Amino acid sequence: MTPARFAAAAVLAVLAVWTPRATGAAEGRLYPSGPPNGVAYLRFVNMAPQEVTIVSPAAKITIPADDAHRVRAFDPVTPGVALTGSAQLGKASAAIDVKLAANEFVTVAVSADGPDGMKLTVFREVPADFNAQKSSLGLFNLDKDCGQAQLVAGDNRQSVIPDVAPGGVGRRSVNPVNVELAVACADPAKAAPARLGQLTAGDRYSIFVVDAGGAPQIVAQRDEQAPFRP
Amino acid sequence: MNALLAGLTVLVIGDSHMVTRDYLITHLHDDLLAQGAQVDTFGMCGANAGDWVYPTTVSCGKAERIGKAGPQINRAPGSPTYQIDAVIDRVHPNLVVIEMGDTMAGYGQASFPQGWIYQQVHALTGRIAAHNVPCVWVGPPWGSEGSSYHKTFARVKEMSEFLATAVAPCRFIDSTQFSKQGEWPTIDGQHLTASGYKAWGADIAAALDKIAPELAPKP
Repeated sequence: MTPARFAAAAVLAVLAVWTPRATGAAEGRLYPSGPPNGVAYLRFVNMAPQEVTIVSPAAKITIPADDAHRVRAFDPVTPGVALTGSAQLGKASAAIDVKLAANEFVTVAVSADGPDGMKLTVFREVPADFNAQKSSLGLFNLDKDCGQAQLVAGDNRQSVIPDVAPGGVGRRSVNPVNVELAVACADPAKAAPARLGQLTAGDRYSIFVVDAGGAPQIVAQRDEQAPFRP
Repeated sequence: MNALLAGLTVLVIGDSHMVTRDYLITHLHDDLLAQGAQVDTFGMCGANAGDWVYPTTVSCGKAERIGKAGPQINRAPGSPTYQIDAVIDRVHPNLVVIEMGDTMAGYGQASFPQGWIYQQVHALTGRIAAHNVPCVWVGPPWGSEGSSYHKTFARVKEMSEFLATAVAPCRFIDSTQFSKQGEWPTIDGQHLTASGYKAWGADIAAALDKIAPELAPKP
């Protein structure tokens, strides 16, 4: 991209309006994005049992609570800039104030947890495993009662991603196979299924462990990464 | 020379290395014609891989060359980008050759924008794969250091190594293997002299000829 194009992109990014695939509805863009200042990626996920609203200085979006829509795409944002706003779950509200480093991928998860009935958990990654011949699996632990989450595979419960503490994320590249995946908190024999089906080469996947009032709930999705749009 | 390129319809797309006469739009195109292929070349100056998938406008011109005709070059910025689906539907290629790398390598940026590059590369290779056409991705040459493009040998090496893992199902041709660092002089750090483009085009054509037997389309 030429310097002139970078400059134009920076101006136009503030004005851009787009239609995210996650909802199909016309929505404002939460934050400006992309080159010339490097790129970072931010996504919001709703792991609460009811819809969540995210408000930024530029726009407002609603994230449904069904599995098909609760994980939004990673959106390109400008690194090094404070991204502020709020998340609302029912009558509860929490402030958003995150600053991303260049090439960082940040997931902000909203869950119905904690004394206020709402909690924001920020997962930070700088992945360096983008590979068109592999599949990347990420295990995000949102369950405070799941001390060491692990992703296991197959009938023999072979460990794929071990020991992810609450609030943490583990990641591993694997061959694109069709294997039965599950998440265990302690005893691998009591693992809960993480249904992703046939993994696709080059694709990335997120598996969330959520406190569902006793037994952990598993949300497993293929990641979406939105393009930079000047 | 391998006879397998003869009779193929080859679509070549690329960045600014394809948008000036005596660049690859001349030399690579001519070399593939000489091997008996039908060749159509399309280039967009300043374009990255995503610009071939998500409609936008070109920043510094575009060019196309159809078969044995000469290049048609439009230097005006602001015209609509070529879109890979429409170009494939127009050309009906048996092979797509993509030359791209310099516009995405983040020259001048402290850290390598791996995730951003991957999203764009994956989007473009995914569209080509959806048409069930085999493809080959050609990475950037060394260029020269110390220019306003901030191109460095270290970043070219990093970009080439990353593209090698990122472009599947396309095959990858590593242009840094064709010359030593600084062997091909540039006019501005990024764009080669005419003799450099002649050598680069010949080396790409030879590499394509070598891997042609492995480029059969999927059943």
